[in-house]
Amino acid sequence: MSWLRDKLVEVLPIGFAPTVMLVIAVAAGGYLLAVDREAKKPDLTVWTFSNTHFDAFRQSVPDFQRRHAPLEIDLQLVQYRVLDRRLRSAMWAGLDVPNLVELNFNRAGTFFRGPIDKVGFIDLKPFLERTDSTGMRYLDRILPSRLAAYTNRGRIFGLPHDVHPHAVAYRRDIFQAEGIDPDAIRTWDDFIKVGHLLTIPDKRYMIQLDDTGVLSFEALLLQRGGGFFDAEGKLMIDSETAVRTLLWFVPLVAGPDRIADNPASQGQAFYKAIGDGYVLSFLCPDWLTSKIEMNLPHLSGKLALMPLPAVTPDGRRTTVRSGTMLGITTKTPDPELAWALATYLYFDRARVGQRFRATNTLPPNRDAWDAPAFHEPKAYWSGQRIGELYIALAGQVPTQYSSPYQELAAEKVGQVIAGACAYYRLHGKDGFESFVRGRLNQQARAVRIQMQRNPF
Amino acid sequence: MKVIRVTLTYACLAVIAIVMLTPLVWLVAAAFKRGEDFFIYDFFPPPGRLSVTNFQSLFRQIPFLRFLINSLFVSSATVVVQLALSSMGGFALAKYDFRGKRAVVLLMLGTLIIPPEVLLAPLYELIYRMGLMDSYRGLIAPHAVSVFGMFLFAQSMRQVPDDLLLAGRVDGCTEFGLYWRIVMPVSRPMIGAFCLIAFMSSWNSFIWPLIVIHGQERFTLPLGLNQMLGVYKEDYGALMAGTLLSVLPVAVLFFALQKEFIAGLTTGAVKG
Amino acid sequence: MWHRWQSRHAPYLFISPFLILFVLFWGYPLVQSLRLSLFATSGPNSEVFVGLDNFHFLLRDPDFHLAVKNTLVYAFFAVGVQLPLSLGLAVLLNRRGLRLPNVFRFVFFSPHLMGTVFASVLFGLIFAPRFGVFNRVLHLAVGLPMNTRWLGDANLVMPAIILLSLWLNVGFYMIYFLAALQGVRQDLYEAARVDGAGPWMRFLHVTLPGIWPVTLFVLVISTIGSFRIFELPWLLLQNTTGPDQSGLFVVTYLYQKGFEAADLGYASAIGWSLTASLLVLTLAQLRFGGMARGVN
Repeated sequence: MSWLRDKLVEVLPIGFAPTVMLVIAVAAGGYLLAVDREAKKPDLTVWTFSNTHFDAFRQSVPDFQRRHAPLEIDLQLVQYRVLDRRLRSAMWAGLDVPNLVELNFNRAGTFFRGPIDKVGFIDLKPFLERTDSTGMRYLDRILPSRLAAYTNRGRIFGLPHDVHPHAVAYRRDIFQAEGIDPDAIRTWDDFIKVGHLLTIPDKRYMIQLDDTGVLSFEALLLQRGGGFFDAEGKLMIDSETAVRTLLWFVPLVAGPDRIADNPASQGQAFYKAIGDGYVLSFLCPDWLTSKIEMNLPHLSGKLALMPLPAVTPDGRRTTVRSGTMLGITTKTPDPELAWALATYLYFDRARVGQRFRATNTLPPNRDAWDAPAFHEPKAYWSGQRIGELYIALAGQVPTQYSSPYQELAAEKVGQVIAGACAYYRLHGKDGFESFVRGRLNQQARAVRIQMQRNPF
Repeated sequence: MKVIRVTLTYACLAVIAIVMLTPLVWLVAAAFKRGEDFFIYDFFPPPGRLSVTNFQSLFRQIPFLRFLINSLFVSSATVVVQLALSSMGGFALAKYDFRGKRAVVLLMLGTLIIPPEVLLAPLYELIYRMGLMDSYRGLIAPHAVSVFGMFLFAQSMRQVPDDLLLAGRVDGCTEFGLYWRIVMPVSRPMIGAFCLIAFMSSWNSFIWPLIVIHGQERFTLPLGLNQMLGVYKEDYGALMAGTLLSVLPVAVLFFALQKEFIAGLTTGAVKG
Repeated sequence: MWHRWQSRHAPYLFISPFLILFVLFWGYPLVQSLRLSLFATSGPNSEVFVGLDNFHFLLRDPDFHLAVKNTLVYAFFAVGVQLPLSLGLAVLLNRRGLRLPNVFRFVFFSPHLMGTVFASVLFGLIFAPRFGVFNRVLHLAVGLPMNTRWLGDANLVMPAIILLSLWLNVGFYMIYFLAALQGVRQDLYEAARVDGAGPWMRFLHVTLPGIWPVTLFVLVISTIGSFRIFELPWLLLQNTTGPDQSGLFVVTYLYQKGFEAADLGYASAIGWSLTASLLVLTLAQLRFGGMARGVN
């Protein structure tokens, strides 16, 4: 090895290392130059951050391209946080702006602020109001509560991807063994009673709930008609509803009488806890069912779904949280074509049926719900027709409003939850209400300060 | 007494060595371990269950090869540019007296104390205005100057005997010729050290590429792996396979340039 | 003609590429960041003059205070534990007659080779509950529960970060100490031994003063380095600030405010507060370090 080096050193005046660097630089640079030169400019660029959506789109895009040939569509999977910055940068610079962009609910609000005419997405209302060949308008077909999430000052900037109704998934086998009838559970009080029966501290808990963040709390707050922001974008995290919900929520997951635990809210640890029977149930939006099927194959036939327990005897039996939208940017030279692609990717009857089969995600366009794909019994879920269950719940889904401060509010509320749980574990009900109120007010103030600071 | 002390020393060293090496061994094991086996085997699975599926997943899920080439290009180009500029500048500092030399040295010393983070925002704005956003040039240009490199070369070039330079001048050599034909060849060890240090620094750089690069086609390996964290974080095996492949180039380079590297590092400190 | 001209102007020619680029990419941004800190921006295109409002807000901003607290805690422990550890390792390795010193040296240095970015990705899995090898080893050794959430529990995140930082950097600083130790004159040790000084006294009175310049150097650069921490926690916690923001540090906050919330002005203000405090701290360290050396 070293004789080789010495030989090379004779030949190369400045030495081995710099020559290697130079060679690598030239070789790599040359390759990149050659490859990038060949790349064609696409007609339509679509960005998404979700690999499931990406896979689904990848299947749909060739059909669309064929139908509208010649057409070059560039479909890109961009990481969640990077997509945000990249989109913003592109919009500022006016360069490389994609035509169709998927945004997560949490980030969508940040693109709707500022002067309404400067927003980087086109108003889809005129498109939605058109009557098509069947005599219906998209505006009527799509669940209004989902459109509201992406509406700002009267303009609709995004098409909703989903409904995300929440059910409760439970271990039917264990319920049966313990003689519990799931149909008898109508309200949260019923659920909590059963919870006390089935919970064995440190061994088994009735339900998994998030005690360090808002993953469970936000959904439960929305069920009660609360939320983080109202239709005008005003902060609501310190509302009376929020306080009441938090006071009810914390004893469920902390303290001596709890029926819930949080081994994890997602990922392998979450699946393992369910598989082991450590938690008997969990909040289950439609999309989660397919993840469960994928990660817990050995539980097939042992899980089932039931509607969310209601707050009051005739209250809503479901809730919602988050979601995805598809927007068309203002830098799109052919909005009609973009609209055609958007509605094809999102609402085409055949496609959404397929999508449901693959991911169990319900689309927000009601006219597609009679497709057979939504009414098939699913063996995994003990033969339940989960599509029908979610469709029945879809109508009751509460409205969630987006805001540029959604993530900030979620973070702050998450801290309150973590703090409240810690407090309750130590002190129980003693001074708990004033603690909760104080903390919520404090964090609401912090968010409002940030909201006011922004001159844009 | 002495035996106890010696045994204790070796025992300590052995324990620490194990602590240092265990994560690396785990990394290698994880790269060749199937996803399900993560919960079953702590380190290596039995030889029959070793698999390369992680690498297959890796290349299928993200354009790893492209990221690798991006990193190779950016890091090597950065090193070449830094080497040229720093060695020339160091030569000027070491062997010449010129007006403003004091000021230059003070300026450079100042930059060592000021954290580069204070420059992130305005540099971002500058790169944006220069139209270098989301480009390789935008990655390389701001790092074309290496103050550390300048000091390193100034230090080592000072050792070159002035007589050599004098002789060269008498022979009619140009100043650049002195630099290229006399001083640089003599500084080969320092050049080797610098190449490795600069390469490592560029290879591992994260925050600047994170801010400047948006298009996935131009991601360097740190950004590429970060993307995996966001999108495929459940695929532990592929993630570890990617991590392993990302550290190999530097490891290889280090093996080739070990001695020079240590010498280069310590020159800065012992004199500092 | 050309020969004489280039002979006279050679130093300027050699140093000017460096100087030009330096002014462009260092000097100009430095000045600009002062200006930017007086503005609030929404990306590089729109800005609003706010005067000293950014700095006023920094003083009231609870998130910034948390970031500063976390940074100080980290710096204190990282530097405070790292330095003695690196020095101790170097002393161990420096023993005369030790076999395989180069092998050990390489082994201790190899974590640093991995680089902060990739090591943090790796340790994201090593610290994982239930299957992470860190929990496994501690479980076998001291019975630690397997589902300890090092990165999911606000109280455990800082220890995890510090441990990772030690793993990465102890070998690196050890190299410096090794070189310094090898520079201490052996006859001083002999003289001390003759005077009847035991090993600990020899260490205090011969070794420490002998390596003091390097120790000060390492102290200064590791302090500066620990104040600038960003990639380690950011990648370890997978692009988040961790439970209850336990992984929020000053540079993390700068990044979030400047490049996620797009207020480059506020980010510049944060950058300047970091710079100012580091300048003060470094000067203080050099001053007192110089004095300590004088005493010795």
